[in-house]
Amino acid sequence: MAKSIHNTIRTLRFHAGEMTQAELGQRVGVTRQTIAAIEQGKYSPSLETAFKIAEVFGVPLEQAFSWS
Amino acid sequence: MAFREKMAWLTLLGFLLTYAYYFGVAGPAVEFGKNDMLDIVRSFGPVAALHGLITAAGSLAIFLAARRDASHKADERDRAIDRKATSVAYAVMMIGVLIVGGVAPFTEPAYKIVNGTFAVVVISEIVRDVMVIMGYRRGVHG
Repeated sequence: MAKSIHNTIRTLRFHAGEMTQAELGQRVGVTRQTIAAIEQGKYSPSLETAFKIAEVFGVPLEQAFSWS
Repeated sequence: MAFREKMAWLTLLGFLLTYAYYFGVAGPAVEFGKNDMLDIVRSFGPVAALHGLITAAGSLAIFLAARRDASHKADERDRAIDRKATSVAYAVMMIGVLIVGGVAPFTEPAYKIVNGTFAVVVISEIVRDVMVIMGYRRGVHG
């Protein structure tokens, strides 16, 4: 089975006081729609954006994104 | 729906509506006329003007309805989708140009070459818009 990128952004947003997609997008420099696309697995973010997302939640990259 | 996806829908529908008429009705009619440049200008001009009008009015409507989204700069996903769509449309345009510019001059009359050139531009833009919409709908990676 082909591997793909998975993420836990939805869960991380929930644990961050139900942070909105718009707020997360604003903090990492992408649109709300792009955050939604990342959560749905429709877009694989750049390494820079992936690091920024992990940084916003204060977690290591591998906790926000995984390759499986 | 993302602002740029709405714009792609507008461009796609604008092209389909106006140029379906041109290539279906107005363009072929020139063949039965005098076949000079003015015939083509007379048939293509109003269609191009109508297309411009539809695009301007539609853009304004989308901008007013989604003013906040319109103010956002294109982000990395927008650019990735645009890059992929443009590269596919470029290939389509190159093939079209080779056919219209490299083959048609030896086999077709001038007015068909002119319309063929218009068709290549329109088809390339339609392909680009469809690719943009697919990029937003189905996703894009890499």
